[in-house]
Amino acid sequence: MSDITLSARQLSPSAKAALGVFARYGTVIGLAAMIAAFSILSPDAFPTVNNFVNVLNQTSLAMIIAGGLTLAVIVGELDLSIGYAASLHGVLVTGLIVQTKLPVPLAIVVVLMLGAVIGIVNGLIVTKLRVNSVIATLGVGTIIVGLSFAYSAGVPIAAGVPDEFLDLALGRWLFGVPNPIIVMALVLGALWALVERTSIGQEIQAVGGNPSAARLAGINVDRIKIIGFVISGVCAALTGILLASRLGSGTASAADSYLLSAFAAVFLGSATLRDGEFHVFGTFVGALIIAFGFNGLNIFGAPTFSQYMFQGAILIVAVGLSSLGRMLAET
Amino acid sequence: MNALSKDVGTPELSPLIAARGLRKSFGGAQALKDASLSILPGEVHGLVGANGAGKSTFIRILAGLLKPDAGEILVDGRPFVAASPHHAGEAGLSFIHQELALVPDMTVIENIMLGLPKRTRLGWVDWTATAREAVPVARRVGVAAPLDAKVKGLSTAENWLISIARALIRKSRLIVMDEPTAALSVAESDRLFEIIRGVRASGVAVLYVSHRLDEVLDLCQRVSVFRDGRSVAELAGGALNRRALVEAIIGREQTAERVVGRASAGPGKTVLSVRGLTRAPKVRDVSFDLRRGEVLGLGGLVGAGRSELARLVFGADRPESGTMTLEGATFEPRDCSDAVKAGIGFVPEERRADGLVLTKSVAFNVGLANLGSLVFSPWLPFIVGGRRRSLAQAMVRDLAIKTPDIETPVGKLSGGNQQKVLIGRWLGVKPKVLILDEPTRGVDIGARGEIHRLVRNLAQGGMAVLVISSEPEELPDLCDRVLVMAGGRIVRDLSGEAITRHGIIAASYADAQERIHA
Repeated sequence: MSDITLSARQLSPSAKAALGVFARYGTVIGLAAMIAAFSILSPDAFPTVNNFVNVLNQTSLAMIIAGGLTLAVIVGELDLSIGYAASLHGVLVTGLIVQTKLPVPLAIVVVLMLGAVIGIVNGLIVTKLRVNSVIATLGVGTIIVGLSFAYSAGVPIAAGVPDEFLDLALGRWLFGVPNPIIVMALVLGALWALVERTSIGQEIQAVGGNPSAARLAGINVDRIKIIGFVISGVCAALTGILLASRLGSGTASAADSYLLSAFAAVFLGSATLRDGEFHVFGTFVGALIIAFGFNGLNIFGAPTFSQYMFQGAILIVAVGLSSLGRMLAET
Repeated sequence: MNALSKDVGTPELSPLIAARGLRKSFGGAQALKDASLSILPGEVHGLVGANGAGKSTFIRILAGLLKPDAGEILVDGRPFVAASPHHAGEAGLSFIHQELALVPDMTVIENIMLGLPKRTRLGWVDWTATAREAVPVARRVGVAAPLDAKVKGLSTAENWLISIARALIRKSRLIVMDEPTAALSVAESDRLFEIIRGVRASGVAVLYVSHRLDEVLDLCQRVSVFRDGRSVAELAGGALNRRALVEAIIGREQTAERVVGRASAGPGKTVLSVRGLTRAPKVRDVSFDLRRGEVLGLGGLVGAGRSELARLVFGADRPESGTMTLEGATFEPRDCSDAVKAGIGFVPEERRADGLVLTKSVAFNVGLANLGSLVFSPWLPFIVGGRRRSLAQAMVRDLAIKTPDIETPVGKLSGGNQQKVLIGRWLGVKPKVLILDEPTRGVDIGARGEIHRLVRNLAQGGMAVLVISSEPEELPDLCDRVLVMAGGRIVRDLSGEAITRHGIIAASYADAQERIHA
């Protein structure tokens, strides 16, 4: 830590200012440059309303899960269980509808509540047993993988999924806008208001910024951390439900890969407009960058392996930009 | 043989280390103004002085952790500049601190030989040769633990012995020991003293830094006294006694300048009552009453248990025994949030580490304890922007906080203004009891006066204030009554004219006396 600050101190003021601009606005500039480049290179396929709506629709699920993860990282913890949890929720919601014959709304409520319960479990393990959150949520996540396979026996639950459920992700109930976009906008809007405009949000930011100071200001730090995990868990459940609806089936590892894209979005977001600070709007921008990146790769027919390479590289760039921002803020 | 004994007896033996005229300042504060000290080969040399006298700064310069602004250090008569701790080690200086730098997960022998293991021709560690070297030294200093035991589970006393063994094996000629007995029992201390005498007999010098005067008198041949950054006395032989030491530490009593007027109304009824509060070893059987409108000081040396007592009252730690009542009702905080709800505010000593969220704004930090009053309603907890703004603006105005505006990150303010932000956080809450731990540390002189006036005003308004301070001048300026702590206990209750710098320091050293009588 001190080595890093030292190296930043050695920079000339103008170099520091330039780096500061890069760390704050780099992601936004990158997003604009990417959109501009793709528009020039593929003027017919890329810059169309249809394509943009499509990209947003595709990425809405990742944005919801990343929005939840943002809350967990703001309180200073990591939640690695979200991808596996979303897979379990997808399996469970289809199973409850198809096999247990629960009404669709009730099945959804049950699964959302399970998401909250997983968040509480994660939170209790981290705050009361004092297990590092990486280990705790990795352990809980692995148990969840087991539960998914136990429940589905490894076979996708696809037959007999009612249209009512499929309509959730495929419908366009409002002005022809795909439902996932509307859900995403509501969720991110609510999370943004919670973090930036409410007293709980102030407590959440204080706990993340300096847990010791938060505690001595009379904030119940454990409670706030658990709230962070619960929001992360509920958002994972929502993503799992929407994914099952979109795919028309519940599959035991369908949502696993959301973990990586959510982390990339959250860290890119922390390097957006603020100095290495996690925030909901930043996560939205981060997820957009990833979405347009993938979209561009698809349009140009890049092979599948390159998408993995893109995702890995963007995760590293994201975390790098994030810590660069924090380093500059400290000096 | 003859020559040797003559050598040892010669009074004008040339010093192993001589420091002359050392000066060092940090920012505006001069920690060392003119410090000199010389240590002869094979002597135990004591270094004593009140908090802030400059002992730590002096040691850090010797260890190569700080560069002096002026002055020189001679080792064996030759100028020596410790550019780094490594450099100091090569010159034969070893340093043992309270937080010992041992590796908990390594064994005793690995710790003793750290950095200098014997190797076989293949480059593997040669354990036989390593042991051959370490075992005799470990025996000599009386390490009782098995040498292949991990250091993790061993007592503090054992840790000290291992550190001494480590210093000896490096052929150190001077071992600097900083408060060695702070965490040791009487029996363990006695054992350590024997070892120190043995070390001395083998020709190694010891610089013994301690607040415990009786130990210093017992062990040391010569003692240097620091006061306000200067070396004010070097005592030896018949001149070395308790009285002389205390006088040198305290200095001549300065005129009692009481800048701030006291509340004339007299304190009101008891707000906080503490009985038999204990969390060993730092807090033992502490009882006191804190009254409305009273500024109560907690004096004593660093490590006397004052901050630990404050943490118990604020619910940051749980007591082992004892009771508290707040306005007559039982008060058992399970966490700081309980204490805040019950009406206690706390401004911690480490304001940057424990008080502020540095990247966040002044308004954010002021609001942190006031969120309940800033929201629209408990069920719709949206922050009302106008209330947040007016609270922050009121504090900036009332406390004269110098900041470009209320949205400036608090990390960009000066130390004094950061402290005012922290105090301002609690003013909105209007707690019954406000605890201030070292409220003016690292604060410039102007802001210090303002903070003092502010505290007096709060008390006049009926708040009960508990102030912890290690600066001898601060408590007489500020307090209606001062409790002096030593060794985890309250040893003196001073009020009125009895609150003097002299009285507080003298009482702070009561601990050593008690140990002798015990």
